Amino acid sequence: MTDSLLFCAFMLLLGTFISSISQVMLKKAADKHYDSAIKEYLNPLVIGAYSIFILSTFMSILAYKGIPLSMGPILEATGYFYVTFFGVKIFGEKLNRGKIIALALIIVGIVAYSFG
Amino acid sequence: MNKENRKFLIYLHILLVVYSLSAVCSKLASVEKFLSFRFCLFYGLVLFLLALYALCWQQIIKHLPLTFAYANKAITVVWAILWGMLIFGEKLTAGKVIGAVFVICGIVLYALNDVEDSGSVSTGVKPDRTDDEGGASDD
Repeated sequence: MTDSLLFCAFMLLLGTFISSISQVMLKKAADKHYDSAIKEYLNPLVIGAYSIFILSTFMSILAYKGIPLSMGPILEATGYFYVTFFGVKIFGEKLNRGKIIALALIIVGIVAYSFG
Repeated sequence: MNKENRKFLIYLHILLVVYSLSAVCSKLASVEKFLSFRFCLFYGLVLFLLALYALCWQQIIKHLPLTFAYANKAITVVWAILWGMLIFGEKLTAGKVIGAVFVICGIVLYALNDVEDSGSVSTGVKPDRTDDEGGASDD
């Protein structure tokens, strides 16, 4: 892998990470009670989440300057790690053996794809 | 699976093709000058396709088991490989095929384990869902 390929891959990984954060923010917002429908959408959490999401779309465009299209969904599968982490840490979701095996398969797949 | 389910499964897969095309538009935008007409066109298409995807996904998951719908999302790996080869002339190697198979198996297994045990779904790497999940505890 060249330096620019690494940089672009990193951009996509970072974009996937921040879009997982935006998911957590939307989930947090969905759990709250709002007085009006407008406040349900126009509040700092939701606006922040969508701003981060827009930023992540720009980051993926930057990433695609250097990485092949086929690598996009492969690297984006790292999102399952962040979502699992936030799910357990913030939302008290349970981690089971199946999920751990699934995450292991994903990481093996990403490594195999990257060097294959 | 009944006839009604099958109809929505087909809708789901059409939708996943639409979703995969948003990445094609990202790739097309990436070679254009930032904020040029063609950049804005392709970026606009990216946002349009993602919004369309989010709206239709919400409707389709009303008619299909959520785990099943999430497991099917793994197909986007295949579409990206196919579009990469057909549109951008990307090469596929044995190592990449093996890697992609592992990732697909991982995504399917993750989705199947997500709902079965906890009754909640935390999958999905884009903010495309607003359905309320169970298990939230800290508010």
